Amino acid sequence: MPSRIAGADAVVVGIAAAVVVLVILGTVISRHSVHRRVAAAATRLGAADTRLVQGRGLERGLVALDDAVEAHVAALTEAELHASRLGAALAAVPQGVVICDGSGAVRFRNEFAESFVNARHAEALVEQAIDEQLQAALAGRPDRRSIEVYGPPRRALVIMSMPLDDGALCIIEDVSERRRLEAVRRDFVANISHELKTPVGALGLLAETLAEERSPEVSARLARRLQDEALRVGRIIDDLLDLSRIEAEEAPSREPVPVHLVVAEAVDRVRSLAERQQVTVDVEEISERQTIRGDRRQLVSAVANLLENAVKYSDPGGVVAVRSHTDGTWVELAVRDDGVGIPSRDLERIFERFYRVDRARSRETGGTGLGLAIVRHVAQNHRGEVRVESREGEGSTFTLRLPAGPGPVAVTRAEAG
Amino acid sequence: MEEVWTVKVGDQHMDEARRHFHEELAAVRAEIVRLAGMVTEEIPRATEALLDGDLQAAEDIIVGDDVLDALSLDIEDRCYQLLALQQPVAGDLRTIVTSIRLVAEIERSGDLVTNIMKGARRMYGSELDPRVRGLISRLGEHVQKIFRLAMDSYIDGNAGLASALDDMDDTVDELHADYIQAIFESHSTGTIDLQTAVQLALIGRYYERIADHAVNIGERVRYMVTGWLPEHTGAARLAAAEDGEAGG
Repeated sequence: MPSRIAGADAVVVGIAAAVVVLVILGTVISRHSVHRRVAAAATRLGAADTRLVQGRGLERGLVALDDAVEAHVAALTEAELHASRLGAALAAVPQGVVICDGSGAVRFRNEFAESFVNARHAEALVEQAIDEQLQAALAGRPDRRSIEVYGPPRRALVIMSMPLDDGALCIIEDVSERRRLEAVRRDFVANISHELKTPVGALGLLAETLAEERSPEVSARLARRLQDEALRVGRIIDDLLDLSRIEAEEAPSREPVPVHLVVAEAVDRVRSLAERQQVTVDVEEISERQTIRGDRRQLVSAVANLLENAVKYSDPGGVVAVRSHTDGTWVELAVRDDGVGIPSRDLERIFERFYRVDRARSRETGGTGLGLAIVRHVAQNHRGEVRVESREGEGSTFTLRLPAGPGPVAVTRAEAG
Repeated sequence: MEEVWTVKVGDQHMDEARRHFHEELAAVRAEIVRLAGMVTEEIPRATEALLDGDLQAAEDIIVGDDVLDALSLDIEDRCYQLLALQQPVAGDLRTIVTSIRLVAEIERSGDLVTNIMKGARRMYGSELDPRVRGLISRLGEHVQKIFRLAMDSYIDGNAGLASALDDMDDTVDELHADYIQAIFESHSTGTIDLQTAVQLALIGRYYERIADHAVNIGERVRYMVTGWLPEHTGAARLAAAEDGEAGG
């Protein structure tokens, strides 16, 4: 019996030893497997020395993995910072930017582009155009399209799209101001050449005809025409000189000038023209306390130009009204007529040099095309502004807004006229 | 256990169907906004073409009306499909019915802009006096403004704004009356011939009708938001009159 018992014990001990061996073996294998997985993960994360990871113990592997994770976290933080900087930069650009992925889902839109999302009225059409451009770019067709929306506000937009590696980019640019400046530049060259060449050409032709003319009546008529054209050229040169002088004097004197004297002198300048045109100039009594801080000569020139314009474009029997009021900080001097008025599309451009609403009519009225440009420069020189409200067929109101002077000033008898 | 599972599947299906329905409604709404955007843009474009005698711009607007027609048909089809497949009720039903009515109003407004351009072609070369030109310009601006506000009331679901459109239309009616007077005066002074005067009068009528359509849009929006219809007032009056007769 004892030998049987001893045999059974040996079996138990053997089994126990085998279990222990298996456990140890399993642990070693498991450790090795974990080590390999850690090594593989660290390698995938780009651990610096893969031999270190693979060749040494698990602890070293974990340290390497830890280092690699740290490096990646740092890289991720840097990438987030970079993306945030890029986002801020794209948000700050004056153009609209839309980026979509390969499926067409929009991944980024800056603030300007955002204004066309769920848009209404004309902007809804811009939103559609952006979608179409993105679709075209996704199909591998970069495109560029110009859209003019009447609004209001009226805007000219250029929408460009191009494919990216996995998606498409669309850029929306508001080119309204650029187009306006291009038109100003283009028209200025055409207008100045027209305004100067026409009278000079007429002078040449009239002189040539006069030289060969024998009839005294015809000669007298031609001489009168010559005189008219010479006067016209003279007026243009005078106005050009006036304008360049006003432009040069960016900071004119800042003396308090009584408004009623400025208006009286300006009205005096247009009196004969108004009588010829049978137009009444109605000046509401202006308080002697009202003053403008500025250059008297420039101010008279500006008001006289506004009055001259109002009289020229009024029908016989019309009334030109001059009104002035102040709130203590600004003086608003308004010249209103009930003449032909200005079409709304020309309102933005009438202060440009040589710009004409109706070229044929302007030759009849004998203007130089510089009057309103002078008015605008005078207003700007005085840190003020000139505004216009007008309706075709109903008349116009030009308002000069200029800094008010300190109050009543002593006026000499000569100044008071 | 199995029954509960079935109910859950049913709920999921309902939610999915409802989500799809609301997506479709949003798409229809976006298309209506786009359709109206086309008309809102065409009004000032047409006014400018008319005043400048720009035949090419007039032609572009006339041709562009086909796009407007096609889009309005497409929206209508989508609305009918929604009605047939989803069988909406209450607010959703009113939204779809309003959409169908709105499309018709907007599409008709587009036709009227086209008519203005056809009139502009017929009177090409006629010189208009500044007063008539100024009034055309003002009519164009006011009509566009009222049309924009009508669409704002739809987009924002603003019944108050929608009901104010009728009063705003009075300004257009007054302008229209001034305009007709200016045409008479212009004709009597010999500035424009009879044919031009007739064309101008028709053009004024087209502008005025666009404003009327904007008011109709407002009424439909009121119906969509509150369930009220202008016809209800007439129906109530008739019912009251009938009651009175029966009682008397």
